[in-house]
Amino acid sequence: MKNLFARLSLRARLGLLYAALLILSVVLVSYYSYWNIWQLFTENEVSHMRARAKPIIEHWLKEQGLTAADSLRIKLKSEAFLQLAQDLTSRNAVAVILDAEGKIIASGKRLPEEPVPPPANIKYLRQAFSGMNEVTYWSERDGKPLLVFLIPLRPQPHNPKIFGVIQVSTSLAEINKILFRHGSMQISAVAIVLILGILFGYWLIGLSLKDLQNLSAACQQIARGNFSRRTKTTQRRDEIGKLAASFNLMIDKLERLFNSQKRFVANAAHELLTPLTGLRGSLEVLLRGAQDDPQALNRLSKGMYKEVNRLIRVCDQLLGLSRLENSANVDKRPIVLETFINDFKQRAKPLLQNRLFEVQNGPYLTFNADPDLLEQILFNLLSNALRYSSASSPIVLSWKLLPGYVEIRLSDQGIGMDEETLSHAFDPFFRGKPSAGAGHKGAGLGLSLTRSMVEAQGGSIRIVSTPGKGSTVFFTLPLV
Amino acid sequence: MNQDTKILIIEDDPVITEFLQTGLKYEGYEVSVSNTGAEGLRLLSRQPFSLLVLDVMLPDSDGFQVCRRLRDHGFNLPVLMLTVKKEVSDRVKGLDSGADDYLTKPFSFDELLARIRALLRRSGSVREEAVIRAGDILLDTETRQVHVSGRHIELTPTEFSLLELFMHHPRRAFTRETLLNRVFGYDYDGGTNIVDVHVNHLRNKLGDASHHLIRTLYGVGYAFYPES
Repeated sequence: MKNLFARLSLRARLGLLYAALLILSVVLVSYYSYWNIWQLFTENEVSHMRARAKPIIEHWLKEQGLTAADSLRIKLKSEAFLQLAQDLTSRNAVAVILDAEGKIIASGKRLPEEPVPPPANIKYLRQAFSGMNEVTYWSERDGKPLLVFLIPLRPQPHNPKIFGVIQVSTSLAEINKILFRHGSMQISAVAIVLILGILFGYWLIGLSLKDLQNLSAACQQIARGNFSRRTKTTQRRDEIGKLAASFNLMIDKLERLFNSQKRFVANAAHELLTPLTGLRGSLEVLLRGAQDDPQALNRLSKGMYKEVNRLIRVCDQLLGLSRLENSANVDKRPIVLETFINDFKQRAKPLLQNRLFEVQNGPYLTFNADPDLLEQILFNLLSNALRYSSASSPIVLSWKLLPGYVEIRLSDQGIGMDEETLSHAFDPFFRGKPSAGAGHKGAGLGLSLTRSMVEAQGGSIRIVSTPGKGSTVFFTLPLV
Repeated sequence: MNQDTKILIIEDDPVITEFLQTGLKYEGYEVSVSNTGAEGLRLLSRQPFSLLVLDVMLPDSDGFQVCRRLRDHGFNLPVLMLTVKKEVSDRVKGLDSGADDYLTKPFSFDELLARIRALLRRSGSVREEAVIRAGDILLDTETRQVHVSGRHIELTPTEFSLLELFMHHPRRAFTRETLLNRVFGYDYDGGTNIVDVHVNHLRNKLGDASHHLIRTLYGVGYAFYPES
């Protein structure tokens, strides 16, 4: 059963739940109202009959002379009781007068169409004899429901002397007939309400779920690789409308990420294929016979050596990029910036050769950074500056303190970058146009890697550049 | 045999340029190299070339532009384009810009040679003879038949390849390693003794008992000297 329910569609499940709740509430409400009406009718009947009985009894008491103080001595005749019982009996109610043992002293029934009185119920009779004025209970005679109420007969109210109990019983057939008609009307009304409600509800649920179905269809298409597929965004501002909008937003982001990943892989493959072309071609030419010529062998071997180094460099950079995706690989230590920069200048000597590299010391400061990453950042920026500026122009490094950060800047007086180049400068595999006599071609990963290294430490990097005048790279690192 | 066939290479990668130049020279072509499109166009206008090998990625412009400019100037020499991308759109773009053929990096040098030969044949700048003659030896590269002084001789495929290589490059000194690579393929791992075995079989079949035709160069290898 549970499995069957779980296998149903959401729409069927919601529909079933909705129908069950609807039926339950409608049935409860109509049962309660039916019961209330019935209560009302019977209470009304009892009070009506008591009201009718009261003057008759009072009149009878007066007639028998029982209202006087010494009335208890009067011996009542059975004719007197019969008279009272008959006065209280009508077409739909019959009265009998009972003694304390439940024996009938007098019965009001004279005509055959008058109802037959039910036998006395000793339990209720005792309650009446003990002085309770309002005993009412249900009984039945020949399967027909009867409403019975008992009135203790006494000379005055509150007089403990009770010389009999009047039992009036009335048939509920009339009330039941009215209630039955009311009930059947109610049942058909409930049935109509239920059918309409369930149909409308099912339709409404379907309408709400239509967008979910669209969403699910879109999901399946996207799962098959169609990343351009979106779900229709409706004007709805409810949860499903929001879900559709967030879904589309998510797929937009994913598509962009997916495409950039694809571009990255294509670019990476391209960067690997170019040196591989050189390697393969050189090897084939050597094997075809150029190996017999020592000069050709030497030239081609040197070329291949360069290509292998290029491959290793590209692979290193790719690995570096992927390693920096995870900031757990950043190992921060306290660094005295002035000392670090001076050490770096010493280590950069082979790269600088005779170029002028000027360090303008900023404020003395210690901060926390990954020394390996910082060294690589400086190394990358310096080699870029050297590559894109003329041999006579100086390269200047300086730093200053910002709130919570240190800003390090490196400026050259090289060829600079136009806006187009600048906007792509940090894209992986993007290369600026090489200046005449530029050294080896990089893979175009240097700045991209540098940015990753800065960002992995919680800093940021930007470039200000004027074509023909030179570029300045600013990067910040947090102090802690 | 490829003398007077001048090939221009426009390519900026130094290693690729190096092996193209060395390999093509070794095949007997005359090779000029230029690193930029502009310089290449200047060279083309100065002297006639039989074929252009053009890289798509150039520092000053892309190969498609160079090719279009070249056709606009009325040069109709065959152009072989070197591309990196395998995308169809790139190949179509290359052919649309006026290139005659393309190769995707990393390409095999043998395939490059085959395509160059095919392009040269189609453009009619080189009439490649199917039958090579050296002294009284006739070798038909199409039917793979060899006749010595009018008499048909039966050669194994290896012996035929050896003889074809020798006849294409008369008087060139081949080391055993080079012969092994050219005849058995670059990935053949066996020793070079097998070359001596096949050379001796070939000598016997050609009736070269005195080793005048295929000479042994001591410490080097072999060279083919056809009788004039």
